[in-house]
Amino acid sequence: MSVTPRHARRVGATLVALALATAATACTAGGAGGGSAKTLTIDTSFVIKSLDPGHVYEATGNTTVHALYDTLLTFHGSDMTKPQPDLATKYTVSADAKTFTFTLRDDARFSDGTPVTADDVVFSLNRLRNLKASPAVTVGGLTASKTDAHTVVVRSATADPNVPIILTQPYTGIVNSKVVKQKGGTDGADAAKSDTAQKYLDGASAGSGPYVLKSFDASSQVVLTANPKYWGAKPTFSRVVLRNMDVQNQKLTMAKTTGAELALDLSGKMLEGLPSSLKQSSADDTFYFLTLNADPAVSKVAANPAFVKAVRASIDYPGVAALFGGGATPAAGVVPPAYPGALPKSEAQHQDIAAAKKLLADAGLKNPTVSLMYPSITYRGVDLGTIATKVQGDAKKAGIRLTLDPQPLTSFLDKQRGGKVAMRFSPQSLNYPVAASLVNNLAPGQGTAATTGWTVARADKRVVAAGKKVQDTLDPAAQQAALQDWQRLLNQYSPYIPLAYNSGVVVAGATLTGAEYAPAGWQVDIAAVGRK
Amino acid sequence: MSASVAAAGEAPAAARRRPRVPHLVRFLAKRLAVTVGLLWGVTVVTFALVHVVPGDSATANLSEQALNDPALVAAYRARWGLDQPVYVQYLRYLWNLLHGDLGTSQQTGKPVLSDLAHYVPATMELAVPSMVLALLIGTAVGMLAAVRHGRATDQVVRVGSLLGLSTPPFWLSLVVLYQFFYLLGVSPSGGRLSTDFSPPPTVTGMYTVDSALAGQWAEWWDAVQHLVLPVLVLTCLTVATLIRFVRSAMLEVLSTDYIKAAHAKGLPGFTVLRRHLLRAGLVPVITVSGLAFAALLSGTVLVENIFGWPGIGQYAYRSATALDLPSILGVSLFVALVYTVVNLIVDLVYGLIDPRIRLS
Repeated sequence: MSVTPRHARRVGATLVALALATAATACTAGGAGGGSAKTLTIDTSFVIKSLDPGHVYEATGNTTVHALYDTLLTFHGSDMTKPQPDLATKYTVSADAKTFTFTLRDDARFSDGTPVTADDVVFSLNRLRNLKASPAVTVGGLTASKTDAHTVVVRSATADPNVPIILTQPYTGIVNSKVVKQKGGTDGADAAKSDTAQKYLDGASAGSGPYVLKSFDASSQVVLTANPKYWGAKPTFSRVVLRNMDVQNQKLTMAKTTGAELALDLSGKMLEGLPSSLKQSSADDTFYFLTLNADPAVSKVAANPAFVKAVRASIDYPGVAALFGGGATPAAGVVPPAYPGALPKSEAQHQDIAAAKKLLADAGLKNPTVSLMYPSITYRGVDLGTIATKVQGDAKKAGIRLTLDPQPLTSFLDKQRGGKVAMRFSPQSLNYPVAASLVNNLAPGQGTAATTGWTVARADKRVVAAGKKVQDTLDPAAQQAALQDWQRLLNQYSPYIPLAYNSGVVVAGATLTGAEYAPAGWQVDIAAVGRK
Repeated sequence: MSASVAAAGEAPAAARRRPRVPHLVRFLAKRLAVTVGLLWGVTVVTFALVHVVPGDSATANLSEQALNDPALVAAYRARWGLDQPVYVQYLRYLWNLLHGDLGTSQQTGKPVLSDLAHYVPATMELAVPSMVLALLIGTAVGMLAAVRHGRATDQVVRVGSLLGLSTPPFWLSLVVLYQFFYLLGVSPSGGRLSTDFSPPPTVTGMYTVDSALAGQWAEWWDAVQHLVLPVLVLTCLTVATLIRFVRSAMLEVLSTDYIKAAHAKGLPGFTVLRRHLLRAGLVPVITVSGLAFAALLSGTVLVENIFGWPGIGQYAYRSATALDLPSILGVSLFVALVYTVVNLIVDLVYGLIDPRIRLS
């Protein structure tokens, strides 16, 4: 066709014009965000469903709710040694560690200006328990009542010296009972069915914290504004935007940021290559471990104590930790170093291939084969498949054949609960920042142990006794010592093999202050973030 | 005589015309019936699939510690009606659906219908400009490749479209972010608006439209800037498909006798291209465009995730990972509806473009 070149040029010109228009549109954009001087931007990959303290338990929800609702006690920064006053100015603990009396401050106000009273505290804690949502399990044995307008008594059904620590958690945030009742809330025994306040609390806050909720979209962003009636020190930033952002995008954004911006999901290898001007704060609060099923009906090989010991001896612990990137360390026990009660670094496990081979030979196990299931996810910047492959390679050196069985997260959780998995690998964090709570989960017959066939009958009596001692010890310092003894026994006689500790990290812009990682459960105290 | 001829001629013509409206109505009625059947089928299949795949809604939505407490698990199941037999759950869902209630999302706690109304416009805001750009570029470049068949231009276009088809969306998204945001600094990193701005008052749910309607021009400009990169990625991916179809369709028409005759008559090349080639070659392209648009509306999950775009793709992903049955069903019904409506529109547009189809 004779005319096509001319018209081809026209088409080309049109395309160029379109491209230029697109470029022109883009030309004035850019910048890493970070907002204006009064806005703090927090980039994180959202894990959030609700901002109702009675329902919240996911990471992003906890971070947000901590800024909206005050609790009786709190922790500052990464210091986990002792709960500090928040709405309660002081507290006392009875000798039997069953009764806790809190004295409330008299100047605290909700965001609508009404004072925070003992009635609000009682309503909030009883509602939390009776809603029977995920966080309720922690306060199931607690009952709150008031002595006077500024005194609240919390009673525990069992002796538990860690109740004050539980009462630092975002889900124990104190709500304005009058407002929540008006919006369908109740603390009655039937709250699980009759409470309808969640819808309201997902659109507005009713707390006394440093911020109030401006808007909430579980897919894109949460916007907070400073609470004008806040009783404490005024936060530096009058507006905070938590943005849902993919991890890769967080890295690019933080590499460019010049403003008031921080990221919550960059850890391990993802930290490599970031500008040195950025500030990083971390604490090893997560452990990664192998679990073998102690039920011979599930796997005769995995249930064999000699096989467990052989696997334990075959692992190159520093090599596994190195795969997590900077900050990760070989595990010594199941309590991460961020919490009191952790074993010292010097007690970290060591690889001994000869010992592993001898154990197998003595037990008559030739080329033992076991399937290793793990969640096929990237957790805190690390593909768990990489770790499982490393474990597979280490075990092979001792003559152990592990076949990898990656599963989608939901399937992994479901199969794990089914109790028929021979061997699995997963990360584990504390549900609340009390290391002793691990006994409730890992001791023979308890939550995780039950899903691995590790019953009291199958467990070594010394381990059972050590776990009971942790639970029965009421003095915090003595309890930490008991925890260490319990972990040493776990390392000898349990089906758990702790591999490495890894940390959560807060990466903050160079001009920010106070952006400290909080292993207490809320990642970062938004109100504490300031500017140089 | 001429009057009688005219009358005789008009009568059969009128008789021929009269059934056309009933035909159209019948056609639409049939399609409606098929759509209802299809949507019912979608509810059955989705309901069945969610119950046969490994995984449990309680496991996906409760904390690990809560799962160890049977009372909490029971409370969760009772709250969401999961303690009922599956057929009771299904019949209840169907009954509510017939009354316009798609249930409540387990992840957001809001009615699924309201969630869809919230997330669909965000995806529409990406899909519409992507489709328009893809159609313009795809048609132009496809035609260019066809008329330059066998030459260097054609080869470059073919390789380019093949590359586009083989490029994973998430990879392209990361590459454009790296290039335009990180290296060049000419684009925002993600989201729908900068953190300094608040969303405009909701009218359509599309920020560019709503901010313009509200006269908030700073927000409008910011929203447009945030559209550029995700639209660029989606356009690239869609245009690759369109180019191949346009080229192939145009090559077929170019080889027909009437095109050769048009050239032989001495018609200007551009006239042949615009009046004969384009119209005839567009029929198969319309089918692909319809499907591509439907795919854009329902399958932009990776692009939405990387750009932090709160659209229907991200909602679907979150629903699936949380085994949130009401939301999964809501999204499935929406996707089925989109494909049905788009196919209906495509069928109607066929008739407008090609008289032979209209007559048949």
